[in-house]
Parts: sequence; C-alpha cells; structure tokens
Amino acid sequence: MKVAYYPGCASHGIAKDVDIATQLIAKDLDLELMEVDDWNCCGGGFMDDKNEAVHASLNLRNLEKVEKMGYDKMATPCSVCLNSHKVAADKYENDPVLKEDVDQRLKDANMEEYDNGVESEHFIWVLIRDVGIENIRKHVKRPLTGIKIGTYYGCQLLRPSNVMGFESAFNPHSVMDLVAATGATPVAFPMKTACCGFPLMGSNPPVALKMANNILSSARNEGSEMLVHPCSLCHLQLDVTQDKIQRQFKQDWRLPALYITQLIGLSFGYTPKQLGMSKGSIEYLRSRGIS
Amino acid sequence: MEEKEITVNIKKYNDKDGAFWKSYKLKADKYTQMTEVLRRIKSEQDPSLAYRASCHMAVCGSCSMKINGIPSLACRTIALQAVDEKNEINVESMDYYPGVRDLITDIDVFYDKMYKVMPRLIADESVLMGENEQRMTPENQTEVWKFQECIYCGLCVSACPSVKEDEQFLGPAAHAKGFRFIDDVRDTKKSERLDLLMDSAYRCTSCYMCYEVCPQDVQPVIAIKKTKNYLDQYKGNTPITIMARKHDDTVENLIETTGKIKESTLFLKTFGFGEAMRDAIDMLKSGKFKYAFEKDSNVKNMNEIKNMMGEKK
Repeated sequence: MKVAYYPGCASHGIAKDVDIATQLIAKDLDLELMEVDDWNCCGGGFMDDKNEAVHASLNLRNLEKVEKMGYDKMATPCSVCLNSHKVAADKYENDPVLKEDVDQRLKDANMEEYDNGVESEHFIWVLIRDVGIENIRKHVKRPLTGIKIGTYYGCQLLRPSNVMGFESAFNPHSVMDLVAATGATPVAFPMKTACCGFPLMGSNPPVALKMANNILSSARNEGSEMLVHPCSLCHLQLDVTQDKIQRQFKQDWRLPALYITQLIGLSFGYTPKQLGMSKGSIEYLRSRGIS
Repeated sequence: MEEKEITVNIKKYNDKDGAFWKSYKLKADKYTQMTEVLRRIKSEQDPSLAYRASCHMAVCGSCSMKINGIPSLACRTIALQAVDEKNEINVESMDYYPGVRDLITDIDVFYDKMYKVMPRLIADESVLMGENEQRMTPENQTEVWKFQECIYCGLCVSACPSVKEDEQFLGPAAHAKGFRFIDDVRDTKKSERLDLLMDSAYRCTSCYMCYEVCPQDVQPVIAIKKTKNYLDQYKGNTPITIMARKHDDTVENLIETTGKIKESTLFLKTFGFGEAMRDAIDMLKSGKFKYAFEKDSNVKNMNEIKNMMGEKK
C-alpha cells in the first residue's frame, strides 16, 4: 500500500530517529511512504500565533501537493504537524473570512482553491486502520514480554476531538493497542493525555520542564520502565531534554522515552542502534536483555 | 419508559473526614441528567450530599464537576450515556480549586483571574455622553461572538495544565474574555488590554484542553492564539515576551527563507549561545548530536512560500 508521507521538520532534523524507525517498520509492513513533493513546514503551534491565514495557506499548500500526487490521505509521524494540517483545513472550511484571505494567498502563489480532498492522518492511525493490529503482531519477531511501557498520547493527537476525530480525547487506546501488539505490557497513567510542555520551551522553559517532569513522574509512579509517545516534538521534550529536567529538579532517575515506531521496530527485531535511539535508551534496553 | 439501575460513586469530602468514596444505587431512564441523579440521591438517600446546580440547561455554569474523570457540566451529561459496562458512574469535584464540601469547590481564583482582565466594554466618552452611536460590523461581531459566550463554569481553568504550574498565567476563560474586548472595535483600551494579556498569553501551552472541555464551545486557546497575533502592536517587554518574540520571529524567518524549520538554528537564536551549548552537550552525551547536522533540502519553489506569506490584510 502506498501512502503520502509528511515527515515534518523535526523528524528530518534533531528528531531524525523518529523518521528512521518509521521508515524501517513501514518497509516491513509493505507500506510505501511517498514523501510529499517539495513539502514545507506546517508552522504548527507557532505560525498561527503570528498569522492564521499564513498558517492555513502553508498547510493547504502541502495538502494540495498530496492531491497532485494522486492521494487522498497524508500520513505524518508528528502529532503537531497532524494537528496543524487538520485545524487549518477545518478553519478553511468553516471560516469564510479566513477563507477569503487564504484563497488570495493561494492565488498569489499560483495555486488553486483547496477543495478539502485530502485527509491528514497520524502514522499510527494508518497502522491501526489500514495495516491492522493483527498484521503488525504477525511481524513481531522479538516479543517484548514483561517490559512495562507507559503509554503517552499528549495533546495534539487528541484535541480538539471534533477536528481530530480518531478516538476519545479522554479515554484513548491507540498507543496502548500498538504497545500490546509488541508483546510489552502497556501501562496507563493519569497524565497520559496532558501536554509535555514543549510549546512553552520557546517562551517559558521552567514551566515547560515542570510539565514534562509531571508526565515522566506520573508514568513512573504507575510502574512504567519506559515511556512511549506518538510525536516528534514530544520526542525532543521527553528524550534528550531529560538531562535538563534532572538538573532542574535534582532528580537521580530517568525514564527512557521512545517514539512508538521505535518500540514496534524493537519487536520486529531491529537493534536499538538501528532505530537511532539515544544512549540512555540503548543502555536501559541492554540492561533488560535487548540489544 | 425503560429504566436501568445504575451505581453512582461519589467522591465525598469534608474538613473532618477528608475525602472518601460513597456509592448510591438508583434508577435512571434515557433522559435522566446527572443533575437529576444528584437531586434524587440528595432527596431520597443522602441529605448530606453537597453539590451546586441551578438552571439544568447549561446556562448558569454551576454544576461543574468531573464525571468519569472528564471535566463536565452535570446537567449536560445524560446518566445512561455516561455509565460504564458495569452501569457505574464516578463523580468527583473539579481539579485545581480547593474543596469546600463533596462536589462543591471554591472557585474564587477563577473570578480573580476574570476580574484582572477588565471584563467589560470601555466605550468612548462621546458614546457615554450620547453624542455618538456604538457601531460594529457583522464581521467584527462574528469575530468576538464566540469568545463572549463564557458561562463562568470554571471547567477550563480546572483542566488547564499551565494554570496549575504557573500562578501568573491568567487561564483560558479570562483570556477569552480579555481578547473579546481587544478585538471589539467599540472598546477604547486596546493597548492596556495588550499589556494585561500578552505576557500571560505566552504562558499558554496550546494543548487545546480548554477547547475540549468548554461546554459553550468558547475555544479559549484560539482566543489566546489570536491575542498573540497582536505581538507586533504590544509595546511592553517581559522576559517571557522577549523570548517569545525571538523564538517566533526565528520560526517565521526560517520558513520565509527556507520553507522549513531547523531546530538547531532555532535553539541558538531563542536561547542564546550559552544555553544552546548546554543543549549541545546533552545531545553529545545522548549520542544524538549528529542529528543537529541533519540537512534537509530547502523548499524548491520558494516563490510559492514567499507569495503566500506576504502581507495581505
């Protein structure tokens, strides 16, 4: 099966391991990821703070490219990119004043009016809906039995639920289902749908780090050994940034945080190194007999 | 009408005994609201049960609580739709606010935040003297309409992760109210309002929790984002807005010049050299420093991007 693929800036930059792992498991699952032609940054979370019409136009440009490629669905591994495209398309459809401004911008860029013909989806929605949990389970060569994984969703994947639409904003289970497919034990925790604080890193870092620490502590308190999340930007906040968190809160523990496709990749038999993981995660997995 | 027996587990609270759960059984039909469930429990089983409710039609904003962990208005929640597979419902008071008794919380802090944003129209003197009319266009009215629909139920503030960690954040409801006047052409205090709201706006983490729980579809997070649209008109400088300006300008500039964001550049320009170096050391230790040099191709057709980003309004 072929799917239009929007990697997003982070997964082609310092969250490269998100892209590495996603590409690896997609290959195994016969998913051909067709990168969106000449895609641009969606400006998720920041460009709409500056100018809503510019933000919507940037996102619709990507969706128009997908349409030109002949697809009606665009998958992305990043919750913020997903939210950005979905919210932009929704505003374009429902806000006539904004639409007028956006249409002019698209026209100036020699583009057509957007006809809402492309659905943005998270890569994990494609895994669940198109590939199927059973099919994923068939590819598991190394069941991760006995490892307790905190299942984190964050904010942008779920909310606003009337726009995102895949699952309940308060009782989601997509990440849990995928973790269970790898043989690991999914652990639900109270803060599984709270924000990791990443958007505040650009204006109020102390509070941003506190929020990240709340997530990690909540998962750890419920017995998680590791954390799995579905977002390139959560990955920046919860993986390497843990060093900062440790310093700020004088903490002597770490909770290795993996992107969901990294965990699936482990169960498919790839090594932590092949999946681009950070040293902390590699070392922890080694202590659990996985290398 | 077909009725079903349900079990309602209520987290009760008082100063003497602290918090404890108590269960009640009663029958409900497909129209029974949770406010009616609570009324029946109080009048038929437990007169000591304390809760607030008044209009039963999502107008007064009194019956805010957590139902099955979800911040909700009890009157808008139908009991048989809320039960789980065992026909049980869990009811607790809202998060964040101090408990008074059972489901009643003290939401003074909500009103304090509301009061801080001057939640009233300050019209021009000539209008007050009867010399001029108050006028606004239908487009302008549409823009502010949504943000004035708040019923002061307090759910958004109770669910907001930033409010809990940051006392200086005014919270979703107050921001929606404040923005409603920023964008109202009849108001005369725009610059004062920007002074009140801009620093706080950048304390919002844009997690859409307020949007999700609001029973009136006020979408406070959108009001906060729209407030940030006015950053160029804001004359003040706080540590938060200085950093936000650097960050957002760098994001815009990177997209304008390359069509994409490069985080390593963004970190350097936002945090400055010292902090960015500390990040670099953390990345080195984690074995991920190599990703800072990942070089993605720029957008090829940059004219499209530039033309889309040009000033239109």
